[in-house]
Amino acid sequence: MEYQCLHFRLHLILGIMSSLLAGISYSSKLGSHKYITEAYFQKYDTLNDRVFQDFISNEVSQGFCEEQNFMPKLSVWQRQLNGDGSHRRLTSSLKIENQPEVSSKLASQSCKAIIVERLPSGVFADPFELEHLTQRGVFTDASAFGDTDLELPTVRANRSVVEIHMDLGPSMLSENNNGWELNIELPLHARYAPLGKHGYTKVEFGSPDLFVRCIVEGDSHNQSCLFSSANDGVRSSSAAIFWEVPSGIVKHTKVVSVLTFISAVVGALSILAACVFHSEISIHSDSKQS
Amino acid sequence: MKVLNFRSLIIFSAFLRVFLIVYGEWQDAHLEVRYTDIDYLVFSDAAALVVAGKSPYKRSTYRYSPLIAFLLAPNSFIHRSWGKFIFSVSDLLVGYFIRTILKLRGVPENLSIYSVIVWLFNPFTFTIGTRGNCEPIVCAIILWIIICLMRGNLFQGAVWYGLVVHMRIYPIIYALPIVILHDPLHFQHGKKPSIIEWSSRDVKPGASLGPDKSSNLNRLWVLFSSIFTRSRILFGLISATIFFFFTGLFFYLYEWEFLNEALLYHLTRTDPRHNFSVYFYHIYLNYEREFSILEKLISFLPQLMVQVVLVSRFARDLPFCFFVQTVAFVAFNKIQATVRMGKLHFKILQFFCMEVGDYCSILCVVLLSVAIDITMEQNEA
Repeated sequence: MEYQCLHFRLHLILGIMSSLLAGISYSSKLGSHKYITEAYFQKYDTLNDRVFQDFISNEVSQGFCEEQNFMPKLSVWQRQLNGDGSHRRLTSSLKIENQPEVSSKLASQSCKAIIVERLPSGVFADPFELEHLTQRGVFTDASAFGDTDLELPTVRANRSVVEIHMDLGPSMLSENNNGWELNIELPLHARYAPLGKHGYTKVEFGSPDLFVRCIVEGDSHNQSCLFSSANDGVRSSSAAIFWEVPSGIVKHTKVVSVLTFISAVVGALSILAACVFHSEISIHSDSKQS
Repeated sequence: MKVLNFRSLIIFSAFLRVFLIVYGEWQDAHLEVRYTDIDYLVFSDAAALVVAGKSPYKRSTYRYSPLIAFLLAPNSFIHRSWGKFIFSVSDLLVGYFIRTILKLRGVPENLSIYSVIVWLFNPFTFTIGTRGNCEPIVCAIILWIIICLMRGNLFQGAVWYGLVVHMRIYPIIYALPIVILHDPLHFQHGKKPSIIEWSSRDVKPGASLGPDKSSNLNRLWVLFSSIFTRSRILFGLISATIFFFFTGLFFYLYEWEFLNEALLYHLTRTDPRHNFSVYFYHIYLNYEREFSILEKLISFLPQLMVQVVLVSRFARDLPFCFFVQTVAFVAFNKIQATVRMGKLHFKILQFFCMEVGDYCSILCVVLLSVAIDITMEQNEA
């Protein structure tokens, strides 16, 4: 399988690490929103990659979390699309690395990984399925934003975003205890694709945005800090993931319409003929009063 | 002995359903694929909103009458499986009604029992109720309407008919055969309408009504000259009153949200997904443009023609008429016709099965139903 060969290493971060040396004051910037994406969609109606990145860098990645000097390195080192047909699973293996001197403090902190998956047009995640997975404890929190209408075909639908929160517990600590490793499996569904020339429409997945939020115990009060990955991290062409969704062929349109109407009319006339010419088989006038 | 057999069948089916509901709870908690129907979660969420004093339409994809949410309100304060029990009881009622109807039609006892078995132990039907789909309620109401009409209880039939059309809309297609059934030639006030008996289906040369030209003319004459008989007007008035009462009440409570979601949505929808319609691929290929009025009209004509022909031909054999109407409606429908509609086939399939009347045919019908189940499930997935 093409997807199974995708053993690549995506380093997404490092770009804006300098501005994130001390993280940001998370709660104050996002207000009461539990999800970063929720704050975005309160400000904008539709998903635009550029606007979203600006939002992340301007509105989320501002400010500093006092007295912290974490520099977690967030990376996606493996991504695969598993399964067949219209219902598949996007698997991402994530690595969050800390400096050795910080690692010793990990145990005293409550950290959470946040994965924001900006889904391409033509693919969606079922918000109710995400809710169910959250209830089962697969994700700590998960929600879909944007156009979450499950029924619309691609031509009528806008893009959507999935945000998943995962608690970083001791079981996820990496072997050398300098960070966390976790796998995320996101169930996705294909919409009916727009018509094409070849019978397939290629849907390409971009890289997710990663964040780590830690609640740090301070002297006076607990402080929430958010660390972000760089959205313009390294992406090689081999890293791209594609989903080939079957689509109707434009030139078939007229033939299909004509055949459909012929079938409908022939079917209707057959029923008419059956009723008129074979009526003696099933109904008789000498029925009794029941 | 036979009555005892029927009773033990019902008791065994009830235990089976209780077991499946309990098993469903376990599967939901432990396995990734849920046993519970996604619609049941929608009903439950809507019911919780109603209990909280809010509109059930705050739950996205709730597109049913608020009555279902009211019925499932105890989901929030008794147990979340309450609704499944209600649906399963309706399912058992369908089994009971099948036997009642077959008895009224004079079908031999052993065949009635086999038909009830085909319903109660069909994996497709017993999983529908226990997974939490509301369709068994609709099936039970429609069968009860048939029983009311067979017993000549026009008032009660009309009340339930108005209610079921309010609940699910599509039973509106059964209005025409019910009206024709109240043909003044065959139905007089105070007498039962002549729904033909099972035994009268045996071929008796010379007894045919169909090809007889004068008889056909006579029926046409009756159809056009005496449309407005007392029983028809009564049936229409009562069922319309019930329909508009509930629709008006919920419009008062939930305003346009109710009308848009529960009624207009079903009428205007052109969803190319999960569709058994002959127009499915045509709709998908043309989804990017608007359909012209002429196209809409042309695609509606075969449906109209088939419904009129089937109704005029089989109206006096009401259960069979409902069956062929439903199959034709699903096949020729332009809007969404999912497995939920398909489920309706099965209740009337039983009667078709009985009319055929031999074991081999019953087996064929059961196998056919299993094949359709598999197709439907794959289409839903």
